[in-house]
This record gives sequence, C-alpha cells and structure tokens, in this order.
Amino acid sequence: MRKYSVSDSQLISLYKNGNEGAFADLVNRHKNKIFTTVYMIVKDQYLAEDLLQETYIKVVNTIKSGRYNEEGKFLPWVTRIAHNLAIDHFRKAKRYPTIVMEDGSNVFNTLEFSEDSIESQKIKEDTHALLRDLIKELPDSQREVLMMRHYMQMSFQEIAEATDVSINTALGRMRYALINLRKKMDKLNIAYDKNLYQK
Amino acid sequence: MIKTFTRNDLIRYIYQETTKEENTEIENALIFDEALCDELGDLQLTVNGLGRIERSPSKGSIDKILSYSKYYNMNAVN
Repeated sequence: MRKYSVSDSQLISLYKNGNEGAFADLVNRHKNKIFTTVYMIVKDQYLAEDLLQETYIKVVNTIKSGRYNEEGKFLPWVTRIAHNLAIDHFRKAKRYPTIVMEDGSNVFNTLEFSEDSIESQKIKEDTHALLRDLIKELPDSQREVLMMRHYMQMSFQEIAEATDVSINTALGRMRYALINLRKKMDKLNIAYDKNLYQK
Repeated sequence: MIKTFTRNDLIRYIYQETTKEENTEIENALIFDEALCDELGDLQLTVNGLGRIERSPSKGSIDKILSYSKYYNMNAVN
C-alpha cells in the first residue's frame, strides 16, 4: 500500500480550514480507486464519471458542513458512498447493469505505456480489458468481497459485518475470487507475467 | 513447532491484516511448506495484477468536483 508524507486526515484538516489545494490532493490521490469501483459496478465510463461527481458532491457537503466523522478512514468512507450511489442508480432504473463496449476507454486508461511500442501497448490494453471482464464474470459474492477489499480498502472484518457473514466466509470468498481469476486467466492463456506485471 | 495455517490466513497475510507474530510464523512455515509457498505466490501474482487495472476519470470530472468545492458557499443548498 502506498504511503504518503501527508495523511488523509491531515489533508482533511487543512481542507476544513479552507485549503482547497489540500482537497485537490485528496481527490487526485484516490480518484482511480474510487472510479474503478464505480466503473466495475456500472460498466459505463460516462455514467461512472457522473456518479464520481455525485459522490464528491456528498463528500464536499459533508465535510464543509462539519458533519464528517473524524474517526473513520477517508477512502473506505468515500468508496462506500460511491458504491451506494452506483447501486441506487440501478435500483432507481429498476434494471441490472448492462455490458457496454469499451469504446474510448484508452483515453482514460491510467496505465503507463509511454515507453512501450504501439504493439505492446495494444497487447497490454487488451489484457487489462480482459482482466476487467473476468472480474465482472465472478459470482456476485466473490466480486463483492474483491471490490470491497481491493478497491474500497475495507478490512475483512468490516466486509464480514457489511455483508453479514463470518470473517472466515469473507476470507474464503476472497480466496476463491483470486483462484477463479487465475483459472480464467490460465484458461484464456493470458500472458500475465509479461503483460500485467512488468512496467 | 511449526504451526499449520489455513489458506484463509494467506489472504490476511497478503492484505497485511496479520500481526507481526503471525507474519513471522507464516514466513517460517513458508520455508517448509512448498504447497503453501506456491499458493502464496499464485495469490500474490493475481493480487498484483488487480492493482494494474485501475481506471481513471476524465480531467473534466475532476475539474467539476474541485470547482464545486471552491464555490461551495455560493452553491450550497443544504
């Protein structure tokens, strides 16, 4: 996990005192994790952008009105807001997420391709898109735990409480999610060593 | 004596939810348990891959968020 010289809570304190730059740091620090969480649920770039903005409107309203709970961790809190908004969106629309094509996704991709050839860039993009699709294919209970732990950074204890299962069940679901992902990757012969794990 | 670990303990270990004492015990066990070591390697490899598939929102969205905050006092309705 990345360590920062200025913690989230320090940035929030600065922000409460009117330092908008601190808020910008906070937003930029976590934007990808939160956005990825939303995107994995709604599977639509533009809808995910809207939901991210709605999420931060709630964040700003809460902090600026003095209602932010200092004791909680910032990232899990924000990600939970984003997660709930994404779920609410489908409840309101009374439909399930639809799979959309990933046209234009390269524009927003954060992966570092600058030193690669065009061909190897394309391979990486395809491989990452495929891995995202494989995550979407996981059973709901496994994908839920994976998203909560890996992207929302909730502890397994917090996940167990949020999903009303024992911590061992949450751990087991995470383990099977990872094992299933690997099996799917192996089945598709994804060259993960070459394309996923080297910068 | 070498303690036997469950596979779920490896998940806690990867996500740094084990105590220092548990870490030492698990790392000792990994020396003698090849299957455990292999599974840890596989799981870690998959977890590493998850970190590389993050997506990023557009600059426009971030600018709108920052602008909302900057002009909050003018926009606030709550």
